[in-house]
Amino acid sequence: MKNYDQNEPLVRDIRLSAADSFYGKGCDLLKCAEGGCLCNKNRSFWQANSCQLSLSLMMASTIENAAIIIHSPVGCGVNMSTLYSNVTGGRNKRGLGQNNLVWLSTNMQKVDIINGGEKKLRELIRYTDREYRPELIFVVAACAPSIIGDDVDDIVNSEKENIAADLAAIHCPGFKSRVVASAYDSFYHALIRHLKFEPEPYIDYNPDNYANPYNGDQTALYRYNKARTVNLFNATSMNPDDENEIVRLLQALDLNVQIYTEYSSRDKLRFISEASLNISMCDVHDDYILKYLEEKYGIPYVIQGMPLGKKAIREWLLKIAGFFGKEKDAEKICDYEEKRLDEALKPFLKTIRGKRVIMGGGVVRIAEEARMLKELGMDIITIRPYHYDNEAGGVYSEVAEEFPDTPVAVSTQVFELINQLKKYKPDIVVEHAGKHGWISKCGIPSVNLFSQARPFFGYAGEYAFIKNLAFHLQNNSYAKNLSKNVRLPYHKNWYEKDPYSYIKD
Amino acid sequence: MSSCIERPRTTCSLGGALSTISALPGVIPISHTTSGCAGNLSGTTAFNSGYCGSNYCSGQSVPVSNFNESNVVFGGAGRLREELISTFELIDGKLYIVLTGCMSEIIADDVQGVVSEFQNEGKPLIYVNTPSFEGDAFEGYELVLDKIINDQLPVSSRKDKSIINVFGIVPQFDPFFRGDLGEIKRILERLGLRVNTLFTNDQTYKNLTDVPKAGLNILLSPVYGVDLLKKFEKRHGTPFITEDLPVGAIQTEAFIRHVAKALDIDSATVNRVIKEEKRDYYAYLERAADLISDSEFKYYADVVGNATGTLSYARFLRDELGFVVENSVITDFLPKKKEKILKGYLEGKDIPGNLSFETDTYQVTKLLKNAMGQPNGDFYIDLHTPRFVFGSTFEKDYAVKNALPYLAISYPVYDRTILSKGYAGFRGGLQLMEDILCVLVAGR
Repeated sequence: MKNYDQNEPLVRDIRLSAADSFYGKGCDLLKCAEGGCLCNKNRSFWQANSCQLSLSLMMASTIENAAIIIHSPVGCGVNMSTLYSNVTGGRNKRGLGQNNLVWLSTNMQKVDIINGGEKKLRELIRYTDREYRPELIFVVAACAPSIIGDDVDDIVNSEKENIAADLAAIHCPGFKSRVVASAYDSFYHALIRHLKFEPEPYIDYNPDNYANPYNGDQTALYRYNKARTVNLFNATSMNPDDENEIVRLLQALDLNVQIYTEYSSRDKLRFISEASLNISMCDVHDDYILKYLEEKYGIPYVIQGMPLGKKAIREWLLKIAGFFGKEKDAEKICDYEEKRLDEALKPFLKTIRGKRVIMGGGVVRIAEEARMLKELGMDIITIRPYHYDNEAGGVYSEVAEEFPDTPVAVSTQVFELINQLKKYKPDIVVEHAGKHGWISKCGIPSVNLFSQARPFFGYAGEYAFIKNLAFHLQNNSYAKNLSKNVRLPYHKNWYEKDPYSYIKD
Repeated sequence: MSSCIERPRTTCSLGGALSTISALPGVIPISHTTSGCAGNLSGTTAFNSGYCGSNYCSGQSVPVSNFNESNVVFGGAGRLREELISTFELIDGKLYIVLTGCMSEIIADDVQGVVSEFQNEGKPLIYVNTPSFEGDAFEGYELVLDKIINDQLPVSSRKDKSIINVFGIVPQFDPFFRGDLGEIKRILERLGLRVNTLFTNDQTYKNLTDVPKAGLNILLSPVYGVDLLKKFEKRHGTPFITEDLPVGAIQTEAFIRHVAKALDIDSATVNRVIKEEKRDYYAYLERAADLISDSEFKYYADVVGNATGTLSYARFLRDELGFVVENSVITDFLPKKKEKILKGYLEGKDIPGNLSFETDTYQVTKLLKNAMGQPNGDFYIDLHTPRFVFGSTFEKDYAVKNALPYLAISYPVYDRTILSKGYAGFRGGLQLMEDILCVLVAGR
């Protein structure tokens, strides 16, 4: 339990072994990670990317009736406006109604850097509670307070009794971790440390009532329901269409599904312990909270890649079914779904077959999508995961097997991507949002590895993905024309060099 | 309450510096910070400025030193040096600028030392201190230009009276910066002047180096650039005049006359240009009058935005469309010194409606609500409607909730896209009118 008792979580660079720089073959990455050489790799040139603060905000901003206080100079959390509009969209699609999110900055000035920003933070917490009456206030601590040593956790703990809202601290200074994925742990750590995970008497149930499920006549029914209830963790990369598709598959196994933690409220979070199995949608998202829930409440968990592509969906669903003795049902569901999916995909296959793809993005998703596209006959010429940590080992042992000779690069870097695009001229690129403008400037069509627009998970997801991919292979005039008329900032000789020549040991 | 801000409409000075550099042709930023600072700042300001987007070497292409924990403890000079060597190998630019952030400033990294090593080799490299806790995005704009112009560019002995520099419009934080500057340039060129805007697409690096040759600087903001141009005058000897951002025919005519007076341009040219521009302008308005008058397009108006544009928009609405402006809200977070400059400038000026200074969106909303009034159950009640809200996208929630027409005119703007459009000048005034009418007829 040690980790969970700390004020601040350990970043992944320490808790796991995590890396942001690598280039080699599909079969090398895992070896390099296990041998330890991966952690020492670095670059002698870096371009802008993101930090764990921005991803922490991404998760916190979805929590219902929350206010977010960003304790930092005024630039940190600038992306809240983007997140606010995303969350409004996400809420609308989930039928959740108005978005009440507010965010505030302590706007640390020079004097706060010198004298400490603690007093100001305390005042802002009380002001926020008084003026906005949120259910929950997140205090997000960025680099500056962390460097000057503001004791954010102490303030949060001592202010809890002074305000009506619940209060939680998220520690996510960008300089502490090289991998953005540390934010998952930072956010979950905040929930674990500061919020309640159990139903409360007199709020969630009445202990005096004989029908109280926790201690009365209804206990057997309660136990039965709980035994077939699962929690689904939707951290940052699961849109409403995905939720519908996954819930559909799990309901076909006769399971009740609760979805956490995005778009949850403080009150909903108290029921997180009321399940018999926790299901992660990605190897590198949720292990921190799932291990905690297992330690604390004895709830087992499933971390089994991402259900992207027939093969992975079957593995994923079977693993879950195994907990309930429903493997046969799962097999049947998969057989049926695969059959009708294969039929539906047929018209697209001749468009995509043999096309050369470069793929980049979240470490697990991009590997699963590469497996999916390979199975459908596409030629994967490079896989570019944004980071690597040991939690992704399971998926990358599959990659080592299925793509032993395919180049794999751990990279978020635009200059490396552009070099590869110019060199290898792929037919299409699958990438993370933020990169597509640059890819278009190279004259190449591209699609998102994930977006809010359509399902990605499950069978519906595979169909939508392939349909979209085939669609984007039609008429590339926009990118082609753009590339002819836009200049990129690199010297010509960069394109003669190896794309990953700035990676060093 | 102290300096805390709800929903800031600005960023740290690093953010403003990155936006400014992205709009300067041939200039490459190197951010001596974590990877996230440069990425989040330039990514989001590009999003918030009507999807201005990233160009040449901005956004995710900005070189960063990728400051990490060991750099915080042991210093980041070595990493910066390595990054700079690679940047010169890879990136093609005319001028390279190292920017700092909180972590490199707090630990007092020796940026100057590293940069001077490269300068000694003759590399076109400078650095600007942009500590995030001193000054906001608008300050970042001034810091960058101050360093280039008042520190780096040599003094030009020969001044050319026909060259004019335009300052005060901050890239992205004034979301119409390209369109506005383009129109100002067009108008000044009609007077026979040559114009350095620095930020419009026609500009090259030479425009930046030509800046000291100008005979006059025009500052289009009452507050942003004042210090910059005072120093400019001291170093390069070029005087400056401060003008309100001219929006629409009335203001632009006044603007032209002020500039002509400052430069002694013959009145025949001035009168001819004004006459031609107005003829064009009012020919459009002549036909639009059917729609505007028949539909009784007359509104109470609230205008929310920064110190540069708000009052100009408000005056345009009042003087040209006959709207009744009730609130002019200036949302900037101003340090004491700048607040003094702004208040001094506004003294005795024509101010439409009630002028407020408020940084917090929720408090702005309260101002707007109070001006409109609310139903109290009385049969007769003088609600100040119909009402039109002009603000940032932050004001949209309020407008939508109260079913009020609304148009985003100030940062952040993310519910519409802005490419070449501007609201300054004659053409800008027409475009603003067009956008207002579009909002009002969209439901038909």
